[in-house]
Amino acid sequence: MTGYIQGRNVGLTFRPPNRAPVRALGGFDIEVEEGEFLSIVGPSGCGKSTFLSILLGLIHPDSGEVLMHGRRISGPGSDRAMVFQEFGLLPWRTVQHNIELGLELKKVPKEKRRAAAARLVSLVGLTGFEAHYPHELSGGMKQRVGLARALATDPEVLLMDEPFAALDAQTRDLMQVELLRIWREAKKTVLFVTHQIDEAIYLSDRVMVMSKRPGRAKRIFAIKLPRPREYEMRVTPEFNDLKLEIWNTLKDEIAA
Amino acid sequence: MAEETTVRQSFAARYRNFLLGALAVVLFFAAWQAVFLWVPFNPLFITKPSLIAAGYVDLIESGELFHDLAVSSVPFFLGLGAAVIIGVPLGILMGWRPRVGYALDPLMTIFYASPLVALAPLLVIFFGVGVWGKSIIVFTLSVFPFIFNAYAGVHAVDRLLINVVRSLGGGEWALYRKVIFPSVLPYIVAASRVAVGRALIAVLVGEFFAASEGIGFAISRFGDIFAMDRMFGCILTVMVIAVILTEGIRWAERAAFPWRVGR
Repeated sequence: MTGYIQGRNVGLTFRPPNRAPVRALGGFDIEVEEGEFLSIVGPSGCGKSTFLSILLGLIHPDSGEVLMHGRRISGPGSDRAMVFQEFGLLPWRTVQHNIELGLELKKVPKEKRRAAAARLVSLVGLTGFEAHYPHELSGGMKQRVGLARALATDPEVLLMDEPFAALDAQTRDLMQVELLRIWREAKKTVLFVTHQIDEAIYLSDRVMVMSKRPGRAKRIFAIKLPRPREYEMRVTPEFNDLKLEIWNTLKDEIAA
Repeated sequence: MAEETTVRQSFAARYRNFLLGALAVVLFFAAWQAVFLWVPFNPLFITKPSLIAAGYVDLIESGELFHDLAVSSVPFFLGLGAAVIIGVPLGILMGWRPRVGYALDPLMTIFYASPLVALAPLLVIFFGVGVWGKSIIVFTLSVFPFIFNAYAGVHAVDRLLINVVRSLGGGEWALYRKVIFPSVLPYIVAASRVAVGRALIAVLVGEFFAASEGIGFAISRFGDIFAMDRMFGCILTVMVIAVILTEGIRWAERAAFPWRVGR
């Protein structure tokens, strides 16, 4: 049986004009199972975000390929959606209209868009803020909108590019709990890029550690901690053992 | 008691900025009037506010002023409308399609920087003295702010938003409609403040060269017959219109873009 998402020898070199080429991804294999929560950690500039953009279909690898359902990913598709670190909300649109954006682009009729947005507003806990503009929202609320927008087109795969990195520590903790709840309810496959080992362990079924540039999958850790996960789990010996092990794998790659 | 005074400001405190501006205008006209108490007054070459006011009553009572304004407003709005319709898409295209930008930027800069007013007589010869000739002069002077502001606006578009729309399956046309145009809109409104001033000048210049009616014609005719009071009455009217239009756009800008309040 072939994997749900398969990357084979995925490599990419950026060739900026008038500058030396940069080998961003060094060619590596990866398999993602349907419904799993996979986190990707790695040093800055290792190509984690680039890899997500390839999965999204916005950029293309120059070696190897990424398959989903056995078909090559050649562009954006409604089976995948991205949640961006800097939210990417359209500032002139209200919460409701930001959430409806993807449906609008797919020419979904107005009443269906309304209904879908209303359902998602309550799923992400933004009831009462439908008519607010992004500048009136806190960072955490903005990312709830970003998440609702990604979920609106009902994708199979959620790609999350350091979605909580712009939030303060308490909001981040709260959003992690919320994300697990939504993931349970919405039943999506999630690829989650982060800098935080804690966050990766707490959320994931597997954590992939990437090497420094050119990025490769260095090692993949299976997180066998039971679900549903409580916040207290973060102070258990099992959690800390994993954290230490992942840190030891990662630290050689970080040039301070 | 202390809270009371901080919440309820006096009329003077609340409108202080406006009152300061108004005071300066009043002082200016008072000084103008007063200077002729000492300086000899020759009504052939100069006038004073009291005479302008008297002449202004005549201008309004005879209906001349309104007629001239109505005549001038037609090329003003036609030329300005054409400048928006052609300037905005052209500027957006120059910004979004780098090759179009590289090709047209130098040419447009040359036109924008050159004294186009000097071309007005030529345009009158080509297109006549009627409403079309004047509209084309207005268009020529007011199109460039729209082109350059739309061009600059596209460069300021947040690339992340482009990726957002692309990732949700949006094509080129969706990018224009959902991201580029809304991002550029505030720049276009800012451009229209500049363009309105240039369009007013264009109408006057067009009517100076060749016309038989219109506010610019009235100014030059009153000048020719040394009716300084009426000439200044017309000039002040144009000034007031310019201020009203510019301030009106500024007000509309604040009302129309609530999402920019937080910036």
